[in-house]
Amino acid sequence: MLRKIGFERTSELVSALMEKGEVFAPVANSAGVNFQKIQEPGDVTLDFYNTLQSPKSVFFPQTDDMVRYRLTHEGTEAEEVPLDFEPRIVLGVRPCDVRSFEVMDRLFSGGGIVDPYWENRRKSTTIIGYAFDKVDPADFYSTFGIGAADPTGSDIFMVKGESAFLLKGITEKGEEVLGSIDLIEDASAKDKEYFEERLAGASLLETRTLATEGTAEKLEAVFENPYWVGAAAPCLNCGVCTFVCPTCHCFDIQDETLFGKGVRRRIWDSCMFTDFTLHTSGHNPRTKKSQRLRQRINHKFSYYVTNFDVISCVGCGRCIRSCPVHIDIVAVVEGAMALP
Amino acid sequence: MKRIEARLKEEAKRLLENGEVEVVLAYGKGYDDRHPMPYAAKTVTDTERIVFNEYCTHNMARYLMDYPPGTRIAIAVKGCDSRAVVVLLQEEKIKREDLVILGIPAAGMRDAKTDQPIDASTTCDMPNPVLYDILLGDEVTVPGTSPYKILEELEGMDGKDRWAFWSGELSRCIRCYACRNACPMCYCDPCFVDQAEPRWADKSPSLESNLMFHLTRFYHLAGRCIDCGECSRACPMNIPLHLFHKKVAKECEAMFDQAAGMSVDDKPAMVDFRVEDSDEILL
Repeated sequence: MLRKIGFERTSELVSALMEKGEVFAPVANSAGVNFQKIQEPGDVTLDFYNTLQSPKSVFFPQTDDMVRYRLTHEGTEAEEVPLDFEPRIVLGVRPCDVRSFEVMDRLFSGGGIVDPYWENRRKSTTIIGYAFDKVDPADFYSTFGIGAADPTGSDIFMVKGESAFLLKGITEKGEEVLGSIDLIEDASAKDKEYFEERLAGASLLETRTLATEGTAEKLEAVFENPYWVGAAAPCLNCGVCTFVCPTCHCFDIQDETLFGKGVRRRIWDSCMFTDFTLHTSGHNPRTKKSQRLRQRINHKFSYYVTNFDVISCVGCGRCIRSCPVHIDIVAVVEGAMALP
Repeated sequence: MKRIEARLKEEAKRLLENGEVEVVLAYGKGYDDRHPMPYAAKTVTDTERIVFNEYCTHNMARYLMDYPPGTRIAIAVKGCDSRAVVVLLQEEKIKREDLVILGIPAAGMRDAKTDQPIDASTTCDMPNPVLYDILLGDEVTVPGTSPYKILEELEGMDGKDRWAFWSGELSRCIRCYACRNACPMCYCDPCFVDQAEPRWADKSPSLESNLMFHLTRFYHLAGRCIDCGECSRACPMNIPLHLFHKKVAKECEAMFDQAAGMSVDDKPAMVDFRVEDSDEILL
């Protein structure tokens, strides 16, 4: 079914969604636009190109509490934080970010050891995807066969019309949620035509592309090449790229205690940090930033391919836009691929 | 700017050709004109990629510590950047004889993120380098605005409101450490925040932990921060860190009658003990 709601009624839509579960949606603040858990329906904005950070935090938050404990003279009292089954709706996810969930699924819940935190949240979340209506020069998601108005992976897909949002149920879960919201109307035949046109016309919105044939093997082959020293020269080794990226997933587990009470929590880590590979012996196999940059590229374009058959990148362009020294991951990969 | 770019390329080429330096730290082409990148030219061919335009805001002094001691380096510096070089010289992290300082009097610099002009509100506002071997352009007239004028609003706030302001700003911090890593003076290995024993601050981005990191960093830079504003420009969450750094610098200058990074004959205020030093800090 195709339904519609006028722009001015966005907060009403959000209110209605909030009755069905926790809503995560883009909110504007002095940082820019970012996904947040919504407290006030009026906070939501759908007027943005893409968010600063990816929506991966809906399933993989920056801090994820696992065990709460108290240290006493008699010993430690600890209890596991219960797994989260709360139904959630994430609204306004661009097609490249929708694809990123599937890329991460392969690691977190694809087989072998399943991450229950990721899996449960994925199962209980309804994804409302949101078509792009223009292209930013940093983006390169066309590389991965992701369309600007690609509904694949969304439960509901949303397109911005002239004066209203058009929403289509894609999966059964999505149809159910969409059908149960009384305040939005059914779309007209004309709307349906417009929607289909937008989806079809989106192929005209192409991003630049990166040649990805054979990256896994080539990157292994050029591992020792001094190219990486030059490529990493401007890099600050901060964690901005990893923290805005939809497919970066490295994490650390820390016990944070104060005055005898604490929490064991999973927190985002970054291969860019100097202590990422620091061993307890004091040895660090990756002391140079050229090694760390090489690692990030190889993890995404080589090792992940070998392990999971897909490149761990969706071309969203965030790392390029947010990098303080303007490193372009496309240029870095192309440079490596062009090596003899 | 085009003339500065041409002179920069010329000097870089000359210095590499005659072997006077091993590397030239300057700016290079990025993915478009508005996004130049820090660039290390090591060969004469490399110098072809050197650029200079109004978006070349990066403080190249940050990269001096990336090279082993004794490396002969030519470095392109604007006003504040040159002060950072002075601090590193004061702290004996580099030797004067290993450097060829290419001074760029910079006027009309712009922030690549916002395309706004950069002025005293986000930088030290000294466009002319304080130390150089070769000046690549004519000195520019100093605008004369105090770099601390921007603090008036914050200084006028009630303590409670100021706390609310900084708590609000610092709760947006995601602990990416772009600020620390962009700073030429943050070269400590290990940084206090990366230490596990003792653990000075937790790693997760809670407000308490963020405050611990930032407040400590602000104080570690007292008397050393030269107000280039790169920390705030690097921050992906637009936290105005430069405002706090400016306040600390202002207090430090008032107390010890010395601005950071102005003369190689000085030592940073917190390092240099003089009998006549102000006791205010102890009261």
